[in-house]
Amino acid sequence: MTIAPANVYWLILPLVVSISLVYAASRHESWPRIWMHSLRLCLWILGVLIGSTALLLLINTQV
Amino acid sequence: MPQPTIELRDPYRAAFLAWLIPGLGHFYQGRTGKGWLYALCILGLYFVGFFLGEGKVVYWRWVSPLSNPEKFCIYYPGQFFVGLPALPALLQGTLHYFAPDMNAPFWGFMAEPPQNILNGMHPRLGKLVEIGTIYTTVAGLLNILAIYDAFEGPAYLDSEEPAAEEPAEAIAGAGREGVKAGGPA
Repeated sequence: MTIAPANVYWLILPLVVSISLVYAASRHESWPRIWMHSLRLCLWILGVLIGSTALLLLINTQV
Repeated sequence: MPQPTIELRDPYRAAFLAWLIPGLGHFYQGRTGKGWLYALCILGLYFVGFFLGEGKVVYWRWVSPLSNPEKFCIYYPGQFFVGLPALPALLQGTLHYFAPDMNAPFWGFMAEPPQNILNGMHPRLGKLVEIGTIYTTVAGLLNILAIYDAFEGPAYLDSEEPAAEEPAEAIAGAGREGVKAGGPA
């Protein structure tokens, strides 16, 4: 089985979603709180990943 | 106002079951929603990773990490915490250690692949080998959180969300006080 190199990055999503859900579920017992916490965490992780990638790309184009 | 409690039944048994099959400890405690969430997320990650790596990214060999770090399977200690799905690798590694000349049983399922097969995977699958390894390892590490949740309960109960102005020390033990561990089964 092969996946086009560009499509490999989509595999980050299930990883981030799973990490967010499991972490949030380990912190709360109430479902609304689990969903909210996992959504926030998911956005945070994706934001950090996208931000750091953008920064590295920016640095890469300057050197 | 009385504290809400979560019935953890026997937390040691729940933790063992949570290790054995992700989510099983929570089913045992009657926390079925969480059981499904853990099972889907952790087993889903594990099996997708296993499939991406063509079943050759989870294996174990008994070598010392100090004297032979090159041969030490550094990912398996993480993968091990997925429980039963990762155990055949430990079994195959142990059988190979005690009987190196014996053919691996179960058609070599989860036995350490020969070096030429491992070398051939990278040019053919590219990044998928690494992604498969990461998925299966992260699944095991996430199950540690699930095991701890089965043993100890969640950090916060429904009515115990930490307020922004509360000092950290005041909320540190809040989850544990409200959880009734080891109650009658």
